[in-house]
Amino acid sequence: MVSRRAFLKGGGLALFGIGLGGIPGFLADAVAGTATPSLFKKKKIMVCIFQRGAMDGLMAVTPFTDDYLKAARPSLFMTAARGAVNEKPLIDLDGRFGLHPSMAAFEPMFREKRLGIVHGIGSPNTTRSHFDAQDFMESGTPFKKGTTSGWLNRAVGLLGHDAATPFQGVSLTSSLPRSFYGENPAVAIRNLADFNIQLRGNVAGAKMASKSFEDLYDQTSSDLLKNTGKESFDAIKMLQKTDVKNYKPENDVTYPTTALGNSLKQIAQLIKMDVGLEVAFAESNGWDTHFNQGKDTGVFARNVNDLSNCMMAFWNDLSRYQDDVTVMTMTEFGRTVAQNGTGGTDHGRASCNFILGNTVNGGVVHGMVNPLSKDNLEDGRDLAVTTDFRSVFSEVADVHLGIENDKILFPDFDGKKIGVMRG
Amino acid sequence: MKYHIGKFYLSVILFCCAVVFSSFVRMMGTADKLAMPYKKAGLSNEQAAAHLLSRFTYGAKPGQVEEVVKMGLEKWLKKQLDGNLEDKNLDQMLSQYDAINISNSEVEDRFPQNPRVTRWAIRDGYLNKDSLNTGNNKYQREIIQNYMKEKGYRPLQDLYRQFFNQKILRAAYGENQFREIMTDFWFNHFNVALNKTQCASFVPAYERDVIRPNVFGGFEDLLLTTAKSPAMLMYLDNSSSSGVNVPMADQDMMSMEEMGMSSEQKAKKKERVKKIQQQIQNKKKQGGLNENYAREVMELHTLGVDGGYTQNDVTQAARVLTGWTVAPLGKEGYGAGSKALIERLGPSGLREKGFVLDGDFFFNANRHDNGEKIVLGKKFPAGGGYDEGVELLKMLAHHQSTAKFISKKLAVRFVNDVPPASLLDRMAKTFTSTKGDIKSVIITMVNSPEFWSEQALREKTKSPFELAMSAVRSLNAEITQPYELYSWINRMGQQMYYYQAPTGFPDNGQYWINTGSLLNRMNFGLALASQRIPGVKLNLPALNSNKEPESVEAALLTYSKLIMPERELGQTVARLKPMLNDPNLQQKVAQAAEQNSAKKDNNNSGMEMQSMDKKPAKEEKMKLGNGRKANENPVIKTQAGTNTMLAQVVGVIIGSPEFQRK
Repeated sequence: MVSRRAFLKGGGLALFGIGLGGIPGFLADAVAGTATPSLFKKKKIMVCIFQRGAMDGLMAVTPFTDDYLKAARPSLFMTAARGAVNEKPLIDLDGRFGLHPSMAAFEPMFREKRLGIVHGIGSPNTTRSHFDAQDFMESGTPFKKGTTSGWLNRAVGLLGHDAATPFQGVSLTSSLPRSFYGENPAVAIRNLADFNIQLRGNVAGAKMASKSFEDLYDQTSSDLLKNTGKESFDAIKMLQKTDVKNYKPENDVTYPTTALGNSLKQIAQLIKMDVGLEVAFAESNGWDTHFNQGKDTGVFARNVNDLSNCMMAFWNDLSRYQDDVTVMTMTEFGRTVAQNGTGGTDHGRASCNFILGNTVNGGVVHGMVNPLSKDNLEDGRDLAVTTDFRSVFSEVADVHLGIENDKILFPDFDGKKIGVMRG
Repeated sequence: MKYHIGKFYLSVILFCCAVVFSSFVRMMGTADKLAMPYKKAGLSNEQAAAHLLSRFTYGAKPGQVEEVVKMGLEKWLKKQLDGNLEDKNLDQMLSQYDAINISNSEVEDRFPQNPRVTRWAIRDGYLNKDSLNTGNNKYQREIIQNYMKEKGYRPLQDLYRQFFNQKILRAAYGENQFREIMTDFWFNHFNVALNKTQCASFVPAYERDVIRPNVFGGFEDLLLTTAKSPAMLMYLDNSSSSGVNVPMADQDMMSMEEMGMSSEQKAKKKERVKKIQQQIQNKKKQGGLNENYAREVMELHTLGVDGGYTQNDVTQAARVLTGWTVAPLGKEGYGAGSKALIERLGPSGLREKGFVLDGDFFFNANRHDNGEKIVLGKKFPAGGGYDEGVELLKMLAHHQSTAKFISKKLAVRFVNDVPPASLLDRMAKTFTSTKGDIKSVIITMVNSPEFWSEQALREKTKSPFELAMSAVRSLNAEITQPYELYSWINRMGQQMYYYQAPTGFPDNGQYWINTGSLLNRMNFGLALASQRIPGVKLNLPALNSNKEPESVEAALLTYSKLIMPERELGQTVARLKPMLNDPNLQQKVAQAAEQNSAKKDNNNSGMEMQSMDKKPAKEEKMKLGNGRKANENPVIKTQAGTNTMLAQVVGVIIGSPEFQRK
């Protein structure tokens, strides 16, 4: 197996301000194998899933004893009570909250206290525009548009060590999401198999071109091109060690053949290849349910089913790595308490999110959902935001990745935590 | 007599003064003369021309360096700075797109956004709202498609695609290259993005009407037109920002001395003031004021983040700009609410009441906070209306911090990632003395030795868009499907018009060059040269007057020079030579080419060729099956071998580190 040491960036280190004097001592030791490579001491991985479109948190995790909600959603409200004809009941989590039946895959994790839920989570900025709310959540600065970086990019910068490989921060998207904008290295990969020099129908030509490129970049006078070129070819070699196209998940896991399933499967591959992944990002789409979102069947049910099945496939595939991995979902806002005239819900405020991992303070619905009533709703219509998303994101980053500098991770945030993680 | 002489002298003196003064004004007001010190920097005419072409065009076309030298560098640049060269060829190409010149209102009418179409389809009884679904319902899609067809609506994606295509064709074939480069520069400076649906429909007209015509003029004009454009008003939310409009009489009352008032009057006043204050409170609760634009106009468009403003300045500026919003557009488009108001008041009524309707821009006096504000120490007295917003923007446009900020941004774009302070000072001085004349600032830049120094030559990294354009230009490629290039540019790390943050794409090599994007640059070179990008045709032999290179080595030399004129090629050639001369490799590549040629014979149209990400494996096999066996014709075989080798060489040159630089 190729050691990650192969990636140590010789000349590239100068780029990161370590100096002109060649390889610093601790790295030289690492290369010589005489010391534990301190670069890789931490190999925790945080995986974020952005549910674009705004998930209806009140349908995902329903306060099913709430009569106000029942009245506001005549054709959407579900109950945990059994015995209804043709309708699956909610999964009663704690006597008050019920998990949508299509997320049954999550139930064991919740019971084992490895899945935590935060309800009433959202942004202090009251915008109900998808674009603005996503932008604010991803930049991590809910009142500032011009922030150049995204919070995941800053997280990469705060890991406390240089990127040992190009795969420290990876987004399984075709272009870099706002969360990863910034100065720290992050790469967008849609398909691992494409990570190569390619010339379709001409393998020999591709090989020759690859060799030519490697040589040219190795000799070029621009440090930036030279070092990135070296990184690229090292990365190719590393990925080629495994057969990425014919990946076999462990424990008889089958990933759903959906966009999210495909993304999580590739993140699992990267984790198993041991290529230095620490922060990963994937997307789940289709949550903007203005029309007939359904109850135990329909669009919403299909969406949450995909989300929970994909996450659980990922979790079970990574049984050997579960201590290292935490998965967190996020969505830009929630939806109106009352259903609209087309059997759906409109843009609202708070939603809920899911956090899966062995150090998660699981089995609990965190946060605060007050009994719903006109007075308790934000602007008289929406589930109030009672937990700032930054509180949860920063706690997960703190506990799981050891990122303590909240001032950089989330500037202008007061730093309050609510205990979603143990430790 | 004496008197007459005196008068004569006086008039002479006056005349002289006038001459001196007018030349002074000329110096102050418009461009300085071009005097580029490249010879002092030790550059030949050809080298200097190549540098100009690398900075102010999307890449030199074959023979263009010589053309510029022949015309004279100064003359060439002057024409580019005028930016109004005849462009018949481009116009002809663009005439195939029917939607690139339509107004925002027409966009609203003909390319309505999806949710709106759905609503209308329900309203008109085509769709039943109870059967509606957000999922990918085929049946529903068909109904909507039919509905759109019947009503003459077209998908917004068509508009976007035409918009992307025109951008690529302009960059690849337009004569006014510098104007295109500057259009790209200012669009990025005043960034708006298609990801925000509220502004997306207006982005094409924004680039066309707001940015492109103003790129070389006064910075003030750019700032004002962007501020008033629907795209920017929606993108940074100023369109929804509102304050409380307190009638002036009441304002006076609020501040009027209470002396001499009867107790009844006092009580009445108190009540009224209370009512107004309540109104203000209510507005605040609704979150009427939106600071997004006010903040970014200072941080990103003018002063820069360290430009010396405070949060209070931001809030005050936002108050100044309340009421700046978008005019009603289209029959059922944006702004139905203000439509009624505008019709009711009529032009004279609008003017009287302080409203301003100017094209797609609407100043809604009812939503304007007309109290007193202070921004950056400057007082805007109560009741300033629309004009105070203009005044504010002019003040920002001419601020010292803006002079520095804009000069630096230009220098970063055209000189190098870390331009020297001496140059920045000179440019900022010109900016100030010419009241923000962009052309003059550029002339100061090219007249400076720093522009021609070793720290500037080849020191910028091409953006993916620039890489793709310089590649097709250097190869005289024929683009029939520009969108294929758009996809490649996206894959190389630049999703054009989709940069979400108002900062625009960062302009430095570090941003563009990372592992994934670099590999895709190499793959782009290979795909382009081997004609595997559909709709982009090459004729490599024609570039060399149809002379077949005698050897692979000769091909390497000839084509490197053609593609990268006036560059030091020793390293590139020396590195590639041994590999190309490896007989083993040559044979392998030729063999692969044989198989390839069989395929190619069959689908030379280019249309059928697939880009690599589409991988139609079945199709591939089918075509192979239909193809002749390669060894049936030995002549074709060797030719195909050489051509493949040539394509290979060219592909490697395009993907080489040297070609990534400009």
